Amino acid sequence: MQLAKQNFYWWNYWMAGALLILLLIVTPLLTIFFKIFEPPGSSWAHLAETLLFGYFKNTVLILLGVAFSTFLLGVSTAWLVTNYSFPGRKYFEWLLILPLGFPGYIMAYTYVGLLDYTGPIQSFLRNSLDITITGSLLDIMNLPGAIFILSITLFPYVFLLARASFLQQSKTLQEASALLGKGNWHTFFKVALPMARPAIVGGIALASMEVLNDYGTVKYFGVQTFTTGIFRAWFSMGDAATAIYLAAILMIIVFIILYLESLQRGNRRFSQGSGTSKPLVRLTLTGTAKWAVSLFCGLLFLISFFVPFLQIVQWAMLTYAKVVDNNFILLVVRSFGLAAGTGVIVALFSVVLLYSLRLSPFKWLKNITKISTLGYAIPGAVIAVGIMIPLLGFDHWYMDRFTGRNVGLILSGTLMALVFAYLVRFMAVGYNPIDAGFQKIGIHVNEASRLLGRGTCKTLWRVDLPMIKTSVFSGILLVFVDVLKELPLTLILRPFNYQTLATKAFDMATNEMIAESANASLIIILTGIIPIIFLNRLIRRKVF
Amino acid sequence: MTLLELKGITKKYSQADQYAVNDVSFEVEKGEILSLVGESGSGKTTLLRLIAGLEHPDAGYISLKGHKVVEGKKSVPANKRNVGMVFQDYALFPHLTLLENVMFGLKGKIPDPDKVAKETLSLVGLSENFKKYPHQLSGGQQQRVALARAIAPSPAILLMDEPFSNLDSVLKDQVREEIRQIIKKTGVTAIFVTHDTRDALSTADRIAILHKGYLQQIDTPRNLYEYPVNGYVANFFGKRNEILAVSTDDGFYSSFGFLPDERSKLFSDQVRLSFRPENATVGKDETQPMSGKLVKSTYFGDHQLLKIMDEEGRYINIRSNAGHIYEKESVVFFTIDKFNVEDA
Repeated sequence: MQLAKQNFYWWNYWMAGALLILLLIVTPLLTIFFKIFEPPGSSWAHLAETLLFGYFKNTVLILLGVAFSTFLLGVSTAWLVTNYSFPGRKYFEWLLILPLGFPGYIMAYTYVGLLDYTGPIQSFLRNSLDITITGSLLDIMNLPGAIFILSITLFPYVFLLARASFLQQSKTLQEASALLGKGNWHTFFKVALPMARPAIVGGIALASMEVLNDYGTVKYFGVQTFTTGIFRAWFSMGDAATAIYLAAILMIIVFIILYLESLQRGNRRFSQGSGTSKPLVRLTLTGTAKWAVSLFCGLLFLISFFVPFLQIVQWAMLTYAKVVDNNFILLVVRSFGLAAGTGVIVALFSVVLLYSLRLSPFKWLKNITKISTLGYAIPGAVIAVGIMIPLLGFDHWYMDRFTGRNVGLILSGTLMALVFAYLVRFMAVGYNPIDAGFQKIGIHVNEASRLLGRGTCKTLWRVDLPMIKTSVFSGILLVFVDVLKELPLTLILRPFNYQTLATKAFDMATNEMIAESANASLIIILTGIIPIIFLNRLIRRKVF
Repeated sequence: MTLLELKGITKKYSQADQYAVNDVSFEVEKGEILSLVGESGSGKTTLLRLIAGLEHPDAGYISLKGHKVVEGKKSVPANKRNVGMVFQDYALFPHLTLLENVMFGLKGKIPDPDKVAKETLSLVGLSENFKKYPHQLSGGQQQRVALARAIAPSPAILLMDEPFSNLDSVLKDQVREEIRQIIKKTGVTAIFVTHDTRDALSTADRIAILHKGYLQQIDTPRNLYEYPVNGYVANFFGKRNEILAVSTDDGFYSSFGFLPDERSKLFSDQVRLSFRPENATVGKDETQPMSGKLVKSTYFGDHQLLKIMDEEGRYINIRSNAGHIYEKESVVFFTIDKFNVEDA
């Protein structure tokens, strides 16, 4: 046996790579944090007096409204679909996830178009029933309207997580409750619901993050929230310090939600041994109940996906000849390239981070690495501010130091800045499935390979990666879709005149070209649906 | 020749409040099979992982074939130690065939990996279906592949984590013997971890007993069983009875009766007699020196265990053949054939 030279046991290149990646991702977050301690911008005092309360009130009202309605819609449908058998049940299981493919801003202007004077509903009323309504059928361009739009696009988060939890709950527990003489309602409220609570609250927390991230919907509806406030301070007033103050307040709201979410989980164990669960036997509904449940799920699907989707398809068919030209195709290719590239980088970074965790004997590294996934909870507008400031700082420093002349901006306002921002925001999206993949294969296969004389790189390449390739692929796919529909980050950080499908759709819609915007919207929605179906399969196979 | 030496090995996990392994030192001879035995949490698996290089000790050193592989903050990484390991869950690579699994540690190291892999597989009793994937094999076959994969690169030492725990009791006896044969045939030095004393007693050349991270005793199975150094080790191999007695000139006098024995001259006053249930023999009549009242008999098929009480209410357990039916509350006469004496 040849003994190799002795090394420090914990040091390896993986560790160095992981620390570098962490540093990169944490920079924008730390920037915001440290900038809070600097004096406020010129417009802050005025803003605090006039607009701040409105921002706060609107943001909180939308949050509460969406939380409440996603809870009602998500939990009720999840419970029905997992525990009862009724016409169409099998289809609703995945149909009710589809609204996730609809970005809020697209849903918003689609509904405005639907209810408009020239929209199909009013046209139908006018032409067939001879009922004429002046103005919009129903004015949704206000706060309740924003709650409605965000609720019907975000309730699938609660539906998905609640359903996964209900599926995991062993039937024996519910049977035990039934044998103890408790009815279905009692079982639901006293057994199933409390056990699913962490999942449900997790779903609502996810929806809340999306609400705080939303810019398109509230902007389009003219509801002023923190997100629109940040945009206004940054773009209209050019006051970065005020934008940071607003971003910081928004961050506090985010952390309160995250804290409440972790608080309610506490130390209680809600999971059960996996071996004990029996396949679910669904209760078959009869008579009126059967059709009422079908109608409820069907109506929800119509409102949250099918009707707006049809409308977009119709618009796209009307306008595609005018809109789809070489430039549009170029736009599609560019957007896809950007999204795919970001997906691959996120997956690469996630693998490096997670693999170094796998090899490291230090448990604290795990906690630090979690910081890299915080970006998903942080609204895009906040991340954008956190990235612009260090990049602008670097550019100015570089100009002063090396040229003394104005050579233009090197990093800020480039595609690199945008990809960096996507990376910070969507790290968790790619990281979590890859983490789950690593967890699932366990550490022993990796150790076995190393004991058979293979180094860490070769082991990753020959053993770990082939075993988690589905997870890596789903990570890339999820990031791809999220990047494709991302709006606020892209609006702030894109290079001058650079368009993606999302910004193009939003620009057209805000410029009274809703029908024309449908072409870009349709592509975003259709690509968004692919991973939803794919994800649903994974959940059914209990990969997550 | 000493192949493996551990000296003062200590390990504490950062979250734990107790040491997983505390100041453990022992040596393993070349070609020996050593069993690490202990309850869960005794540190036996940690010790195995420290030897493999998968964990780093806080103190102490390990040397393999006379070379230090870990000392202080420095260590030879696991992939350079030439240590073979069979994991409890086998850790076979699911995306590789049976043959590819065994060839994994051979490729690029020896000229003919394919041939060696096939030879090793037939040594463990798998001479066909090389193209199958792990999930297509039974649990027992998977274990053989894992063993073949570990021994194929001719490791300096073979480590096995609970190799028999996933087998049912009928298979176990057979597999134990087979694995012992394979190990002895290849001449590899082996250390295996188990919580089952029967595995250890029947398979190992020597046994090390761990308790709460401390090494209690390391010796041959026979010596451990017959001369345990402390109560923990003695009790670990099954029930042990203790009787308080007074030594006289020609024997020991206890509440169960008088037991003639020459060793009594070596002791004065109070002594403690200890013996295993099978070291006592039940007799038919009053010619036996000791007696007690039967409280309960438990039937085990090949034997029965009698719980016997003295007049002060203290119990002992003794083993009897299965055939005889004892009446409850009847008086049982017995003698103790082999027992340890110590000052009380």
